[in-house]
Order: sequence, then C-alpha cells, then structure tokens
Amino acid sequence: MNIEDFFSSKVRMKILKILSEVGELNISGIARRLGVNYGTTNKHLKILENEGIVQHKRFGRIRIYRLNEYSPKTKAIQNLLEVWER
Amino acid sequence: MSPYRSVFKDETKLDINYVPYRLPHRDRELRLLMEFFSFLLRTPEKMTQRVMITGDVGTGKTALSQRFGADITREAKKRGTNLRYIHVNCREYRGSLFLSLHHVVSIFHPNFPRRGYSAEELLGILLQILDEQKAYVVLTLDEFESLVEREGSDAVYKLTRLQEIRLNKPQRISLICILRSLKAIEQLDASARSTLQSNIIHLDRYSKQQLTDILNNRVSLAFKPLTVPEDTVSLTAELAFSENGNARFGIELLWRAGKYADAEDLDTVTPECVRKAVSSIYAVIRKSDVVSLRLHEKLFLLGIARFFKQNETAYVSLAEAEQAYAVVCEEFDVQPHSHTQLWKYLRTLSTLGIVKTEVSAAGLRGRSTCISLPRIPAYELEKELSNLLQKERS
Repeated sequence: MNIEDFFSSKVRMKILKILSEVGELNISGIARRLGVNYGTTNKHLKILENEGIVQHKRFGRIRIYRLNEYSPKTKAIQNLLEVWER
Repeated sequence: MSPYRSVFKDETKLDINYVPYRLPHRDRELRLLMEFFSFLLRTPEKMTQRVMITGDVGTGKTALSQRFGADITREAKKRGTNLRYIHVNCREYRGSLFLSLHHVVSIFHPNFPRRGYSAEELLGILLQILDEQKAYVVLTLDEFESLVEREGSDAVYKLTRLQEIRLNKPQRISLICILRSLKAIEQLDASARSTLQSNIIHLDRYSKQQLTDILNNRVSLAFKPLTVPEDTVSLTAELAFSENGNARFGIELLWRAGKYADAEDLDTVTPECVRKAVSSIYAVIRKSDVVSLRLHEKLFLLGIARFFKQNETAYVSLAEAEQAYAVVCEEFDVQPHSHTQLWKYLRTLSTLGIVKTEVSAAGLRGRSTCISLPRIPAYELEKELSNLLQKERS
C-alpha cells in the first residue's frame, strides 16, 4: 500500500493512536474505543498487520493486537504521533 | 494548634496492606512455607505445590503469605528464575474463579478482555502466557472460602488438576489457599478435597505478650520516638487480645489512637486516645470489606447509613432505602440502578454481614424487606463511605 492510501484512513490512524496509548488490546476493545463495528476494525487491523505495523498474539479465540516495535514503519509512525500530539 | 505537628513518623506502616520485613512470632511458619516451596528455587519446572494456611481473623495469614511471596521472589530472581507471586483476594472478586483468574491474567496483559471465554479457557490462557514467558507462579487465593462457596468442587478441581493433564510440559502454578478454618472445604467432594489437604499451616491466635511484641514493632516503624508510652501499647494489646487475638484490630486501633492524639495536638498517644479510638472502631466489619464494594453498592449503603443517621429507627424498608439511594446518586451525579440490581446489592451487603435483612409480613400489600445495621454506627459508616466515594470521584 502506498503512503497516501495508508494515511488516508481516519480509522487506521485512530487504531495506531489507541495502541500506542494502551499498549495492547483485543479487536472488540479497539472497536469500542473507535466507535465503529467489529468488522471494520478487523479489516483495518489486517491492513496494518500486512504492512508489518501491528502484530497479534492469539489466546484461544482471542486475538490481542499491539504495535510491532521492531518495524521501522511503526517507529516512524510513533515518532510522528509523538511530535504531532505533543 | 500547629498543623504540622504529628506523632506519626510514617503512618503507612500501620496500613492494612503494609507487610513488615519481619513478622514477630511467625518465624517458624515462614520457614515451613519456605521449606514447602524450596523446589521452586532448584527445579521449578518439575513440580508444583499446594499449601493451605488457616487461622482466625488477624492471626497474620495474609501477612505471612505476602512476606513469603516477597522473600521467595527475591531469592528466585537471584537464581535467574522468573517467579511471580500473585495474591488474589477471592472475596474482592465475589468468589468467582473467572474474575480471580482474570485478575491474574491482567497482570501479564493489562487490557485482557473480560468476555468471550470460560474460566477453564482462562486458566489455559494463563498457562500459555507462563509457558511463553518461561514463568512460574505462586498463586495465593486469599479468603478461599468465598471461592469454594460460590464455585464448589469444580473450580478447585480445575485449579489443582489442570496442570496434571499437561503431559511432558513444565509445571507452572503452585497454590496457597488462605482460609479461616478447614470447615469451609468440607462441602467439597472427596477428590477436590484430597488435592488440597496435604500441607496445612495453622496459625494460632496471638497471646497478649505476642500482640505486645507485634504492636511494639509497628510503633517503632510508624511513630516518632517516645510518642507511644508502654501503657498505651499494653492497653491496645489487651483490647486486641479480647478481640480473639486479632493483631489487625490492634494495629488499626493504634493508628486511630494516633489520629486522636494529633487531633488534640498531644505530644504522646495516651491510653485515653486508645479508649476514644476503640469507641469509634468497628472491628466486626472490616474496612477492606467496605473498600472492595462496587460503586453502586457503596452508594446504596451510604443511602442506608444516612437514613439511619437521620431517623432514630432500627429498620429501613427497601423502598425507603431506594429513595435514600436515589438522593445519593443525584449527589454523586450518577444514574441510579434498577430495583432488581439493588436487590442483588442488598444480598451482597447481607452476605458480607454489613447489613441484616428480614422479610416482614406487615402491611396489606404483602411482604416487605426490612434492613438493619446491627453492628456498625451509622455515623461511622457514613463517614467512611463518604471519604471513600470522594476519593474515587477525585
């Protein structure tokens, strides 16, 4: 996905903000904070995961998402959020 | 009066959650506990252990377990073992295995969801987390009675046997169950009981001399030198001894007496301060019981306490209590819960022994529930709850 498409989504940016604030969360928890439904949240999380920006861990039926700290893209986004939200 | 003068050096040393470095008159039990769990320092993956600690209120069960937890964790760290000591008060989680385990899991994953799986799955998740982190846990289930009462044999069986079916995998969770007496587990079926009853440490009630030693120890930690005379400690020990050797009662009494001394701008905590404190304390209802209530249970109880403060009657009807609760909700700017919810809260308060409920046949419209506060002064309870709720709000 190219950069303009990636940053064009409000939901994706909000997900990144939420995960950088709380560390890790399941899909329903993220959806609740976003105020959007499960399906939409899941779709955007998959895009973020395909880009290597987030990763998930599975506990039975539960998937817990967190930022992928080893990804340079994640680091760049975290820097951006920090500067922007300061 | 000088606002900065105080007899206290560090009053947190008298807090209910403070665990002293040294536990007077519990050295033998602490050594025994260390002995039971010594394998955790050598071959933690090879086995698990289950220990029960029994004893009356204020005999040091919780303090003993927490001291042990801090000591063994420190030792394990020195040896490079990832050992966690986790203390769960089951009563705070309404005796629910699910909620107690959720608390444990949320120590590793703070935002772990609360819904969508069973207690058994949660136990599996906990083991998965421990496997991934190569961690071992000593899980202490304090007020174990409430878990047994609510969940019965099944929960105990799951807790104790789940690891046994993990063939060829490292053992991860050892248990300490804290309860007042073994009577509580008599209702369990034989197989669940047999998994628990192998190692039992019983704590006897403290003698007056032992209580004096414990109080002197706390005095040296919490008060400035020469502010607590021997007579004061002796009187406090006497009172704690008459409360079935309840050290916690004595420590709380000491703290209150110190507060009276400060309020009157005294240089020392006199026996008179202790007498004043004892008339205001309510040992039968533990502070921790009130603290652990949910928001609306506290609000409901506050309504009841205020009703009794304003009316010189022995009973309040559920309808009147509901009205008082609605006023409190308005004051705290929260939406009142429904009648059915209040009925559940009343049952919880009654189970905890804070209120007493009776069903009366009075009146033409059928039976009504009467609520009384048999053992706590309404004034004290109102003050305590108001402080707690203000704190929560801020």
